[in-house]
Amino acid sequence: MRSFSSLIRGSIALGIAGALVLSPALLGEAGATTSTVNVVGYSVAGLGIRALEAAFQGTPAGANVTFNNTFGASDTMTTNVANGQAADFVNLSYSPNLTPLVGAGKVPANWATQELTVGGVNVNLTGNKQQTVYNTPGILTDSAVVFVVRQGNPLKIKNWADLVKPGVQIVTPNPTSSGSARWNLLAAYTAQIALKKTSHQAIDYLKKLLSNVVAQPTSGSLSMSAFVAGTGNVLLAYEDDAKAAIAAGNNIQFITPPQTMLIENPAALTTTGLTNPAAVAFYKYAFSKAGQVILAGLGYRPVLKSIATITASSFTNFTKKNSLLRVTDINKNGWTSANLQFFSPTVTFPAGNTTYPRFGIVTYLEQFVGSNG
Amino acid sequence: MSPVKGVARGAAVTFLSLVVLIPFAALITNAFNGGVSGFWSAVTAKESLHAIGLTFFCATLGSALNSAAGLATAWVLVRDRFWGQGLLNALIDLPFALPTVVAGVTLYALYGPLSPIHLSLTGTWIGITLAIMFVTLPFTVRAVQPVLETMTFTAQAAAATLGASPIRIFKTITLPALAPSLLAGTGLAFARAIGEYGSVVFISNNLPYKTELASSYIFSLTSSSQNTAASAVSLALLVVAMALLGLFSVLSYHFSRGNR
Repeated sequence: MRSFSSLIRGSIALGIAGALVLSPALLGEAGATTSTVNVVGYSVAGLGIRALEAAFQGTPAGANVTFNNTFGASDTMTTNVANGQAADFVNLSYSPNLTPLVGAGKVPANWATQELTVGGVNVNLTGNKQQTVYNTPGILTDSAVVFVVRQGNPLKIKNWADLVKPGVQIVTPNPTSSGSARWNLLAAYTAQIALKKTSHQAIDYLKKLLSNVVAQPTSGSLSMSAFVAGTGNVLLAYEDDAKAAIAAGNNIQFITPPQTMLIENPAALTTTGLTNPAAVAFYKYAFSKAGQVILAGLGYRPVLKSIATITASSFTNFTKKNSLLRVTDINKNGWTSANLQFFSPTVTFPAGNTTYPRFGIVTYLEQFVGSNG
Repeated sequence: MSPVKGVARGAAVTFLSLVVLIPFAALITNAFNGGVSGFWSAVTAKESLHAIGLTFFCATLGSALNSAAGLATAWVLVRDRFWGQGLLNALIDLPFALPTVVAGVTLYALYGPLSPIHLSLTGTWIGITLAIMFVTLPFTVRAVQPVLETMTFTAQAAAATLGASPIRIFKTITLPALAPSLLAGTGLAFARAIGEYGSVVFISNNLPYKTELASSYIFSLTSSSQNTAASAVSLALLVVAMALLGLFSVLSYHFSRGNR
């Protein structure tokens, strides 16, 4: 027993000694000229953000800046930041993820206006002077939902109707943890509405689609990994992720369906980020022409009109009517409202109806398909 | 009580509280944030029951198979002498050292649709059980090995001279002596299997109501800010696991008493 307690005493002494030795080093680091920016992003954002960081470090403003990155499923990242994970710059899969961060006091409520105040990008310009492509404040990158298939498209997948044919095996992430999954399922639904289907028919379509799903990995990038590893024959994914996976040499190709959804990935400086000059400079860089050119080169659709114009040839254009849909096409209140309508954990039905929920449509369908399919 | 003893006990209790008890207390508090009814509805949600059921099924199967495989492995390592034995002995611990996500990715490549051995087990309970067996094998081997090493086998030899068959000797002498350590190893493997995430999340394909495991379901809940539900399901999982581990230690006690 004596030796045990002396061991404890010894370790405490060692711990104190260690702290004394280390503390000058820690203090010294805080006093140096290098500064750190904590970046938290959705899983698929990693590629673009890392490229932006590397380029930013090559500019005078970024020369002494180091980055501390965390990437993962968007909803998971949101929860972590809301619960206190250090973050100066957040890049999330979809705008509703900013709502809990505003609620937790981590991000200012007017985060979308940072694009103008910090980024110098004015989304309110119209006509010939239009500065951004889709005029949505606070959005760093645009993309679209696409179908990733095996090289040569052996199943001849062209449109949404092809996905619900028997034998088609779909991979799409789990909508409870992944923002990418939510974009995919909302795109499927909105496409049906654009194809003049009723809301009930669109829900029936989603049900068929979900019965063809063979894997729901926890994030968009893990879904890509599963697909590349041979699971399924169609993957619903971001256009940029598909381009990146093809560029990485995988034996796949992607198809832009005749109706797809505009994906808008927001970025914001947190309240701590706004007080960190390096983070502010990085935000500014990300929204600058130079930053947007880098993102465009990696397959993200640039938000600046000028860059979109010069990079137009590398993207499928959406000039046909109804080829590019938005969340507001099915829910005029946008994402926050659509999120409850489709992904609320609690399912509620309108009076006298037990098949087509008012809230939690996907939650209900997952349960229905899981229990009966 | 001597002052030294008191200090040591105080330090141990403080340490245990900081590392284990406080987090558990927080978990229990969180689980009941929505009251008893909130707890109950989170635990009995269909998706939750399904995930918990599949988790216990695969964990039980995996740890049971491992107790047999682990005993056989430990036996070979202790009782036999062969070339490469030292290397094999060292390899047993590797599943512990490997980050479980790496195990998950490796197993996905091995048993996935592009399996080099043409064995596609992803999205099946067999695949999940295999992954569990992979990460928990060291538990049973390492629990049984020291007991086997110190076993003298004189009783076995005596029984053999009296004409007992090898099977009878194993059943009546060897197994009862090994049972406590075997049960302890199996219990550890089982507990680990219940909470396993990294190695099984890929191979399961994570299909809700079908192949989604409890750990992954809880992860999804926390991701979508349903922390109370996540804590409730975790607590339910812990309670069932504790009950089963309790049963194991009762069995183990029974065996060790019978052995003396």
